[in-house]
Amino acid sequence: MTQQTPIPAEEFIDAPTGWVRILDREALEIARPLIPVVLNGQRLVLFRDEEGELGLIGRNCPHRGADLCYGRLENNGLRCPFHGWHFDRTGQCVEQPAEPEGSPMYKAIKVPMTPVEERDGGIWAFLKDGDTT
Amino acid sequence: MISQQLNDTITRIGPKTEAGAVLRCYWHPAALVEELESQLPIPVNLLGERLALVLDDAGDLRLVTRISAIGEPAVFYPDSTEIKIEVTGPTYPVMVKKGIAFAYLGNGEAPEFPNFDCFRADDTHVFAFKGLWECNWLQALEIGIDPAHASFLHRFLKDDDQGSNYGKQFRDKVAQTSMPMTQVLREYPRPDINVEETDYGLKITALRHMDNGQTHVRITNQIFPEAICIPMSREMTITQWHVPIDDENCYWFTLFTSFKEPVNKELMRAQRLKEHKLPTYAPLKNRENSYGYNPQEQADETYTGMGMDINVHDQWAVEGMGRIQNRTREHLGRSDKAIIRYRRILRQAIDAMGAGNRNALPMQNGEKIKTIIGPLSNDAVAPTENWSGASHQADLERRAACPWDASV
Repeated sequence: MTQQTPIPAEEFIDAPTGWVRILDREALEIARPLIPVVLNGQRLVLFRDEEGELGLIGRNCPHRGADLCYGRLENNGLRCPFHGWHFDRTGQCVEQPAEPEGSPMYKAIKVPMTPVEERDGGIWAFLKDGDTT
Repeated sequence: MISQQLNDTITRIGPKTEAGAVLRCYWHPAALVEELESQLPIPVNLLGERLALVLDDAGDLRLVTRISAIGEPAVFYPDSTEIKIEVTGPTYPVMVKKGIAFAYLGNGEAPEFPNFDCFRADDTHVFAFKGLWECNWLQALEIGIDPAHASFLHRFLKDDDQGSNYGKQFRDKVAQTSMPMTQVLREYPRPDINVEETDYGLKITALRHMDNGQTHVRITNQIFPEAICIPMSREMTITQWHVPIDDENCYWFTLFTSFKEPVNKELMRAQRLKEHKLPTYAPLKNRENSYGYNPQEQADETYTGMGMDINVHDQWAVEGMGRIQNRTREHLGRSDKAIIRYRRILRQAIDAMGAGNRNALPMQNGEKIKTIIGPLSNDAVAPTENWSGASHQADLERRAACPWDASV
């Protein structure tokens, strides 16, 4: 990555179903490792967590739809700046700090995720047929 | 989550829509009086209609229909010489109140204005401004009746010196304490939220129980159909309308109302002109420039990385949902109590209009409207066992010291 912009430009990728190489590994070697990606029209956000693993999840927070590509990369996940809902790399909500203490609601909240992995110097995503998540 | 059909019903406001019929029962801000200083007519794009503000034969302001080209952008501000009036189109009455020209786009007689503080305060104590948000009006309103978001979206990781914060939200010290409001919001992010229906809409009480037996009490209001009234600082309140331009754009119009001292309008205007572009009042920070987002600032100073202006944070939150929030995918929680209640009132109003019962809507029942005052809108810290009485008392003291009639 030669250019350091605050939010990298959206990457638009249209591809058939199956595993698709969406980016070079270097694309995420930036100070804040997060890139908005549009796969077959689905708006997603790709990020690397503190364990070095990749997450590729839906772009809008499942709470009220805020744009997660401006999320806070912290605590090994992505936190929505609107109400602090925190998601791990699978899109699972792990914390809702404005909800009452002890509320189990977060367990039922998950951002749709797309399988993603690194190999051969690239970042690959698994596109399902008719994926409309 | 709601159905797509219901989402359409509660968000779309053009002529002949159900929510549009409800909104057309009320006066809406159409333009700032400062816009009228340019040569009339000026364009007004309101509730999906293309209009222009003119002086009629009697010398009164009136909204008339404007001829617009197919494909004209939603936020379009032609020069007065380019405005063509559709002489056979609908025309609507206009009334100027405190720096805002309000218009009534409904059928029959327009309702009275309620006697809110922003309308009854002296002209010297009220300042008006507006700004563009590129999204549907309902998501713009809903962020204003969501007391929990301030603990996150507007979180400042460091507390600012309170000296230079005139005219800015959340930068005051909390009443009766030396604690900056920013610190209270940050340290107590799970408010208990109480919502009560009132004559004008909703009274929303957010309680942040602190460690020392004290409770921070923030009282805000939803004014039906598309306004809020909230405290800005100890001295000022904000009454803010989220007025639809069309289904996918809205203006916020705000009356900043000061209790004791006159508003420093010059300073307030200069602060806001620095952030907006005329004549459309489009914010300089926007989707195209990522709202000025700075990841380093997000790590060290603010929750959003978008600077200290909380209007920008709100704008990002609501515009980022898309032009019309897809509520078929939302998951509302306990923090969204007031939003849920508001939607219920809106749906009841839609049903009542469908049944021809306009009188069932808030503030549509004749003489009583003028007796609606306030609303109480205040931040206070009170002993937890008597938060209600103490919060009310703090508001009464402020009102008693006020040169205009702020009695409640």
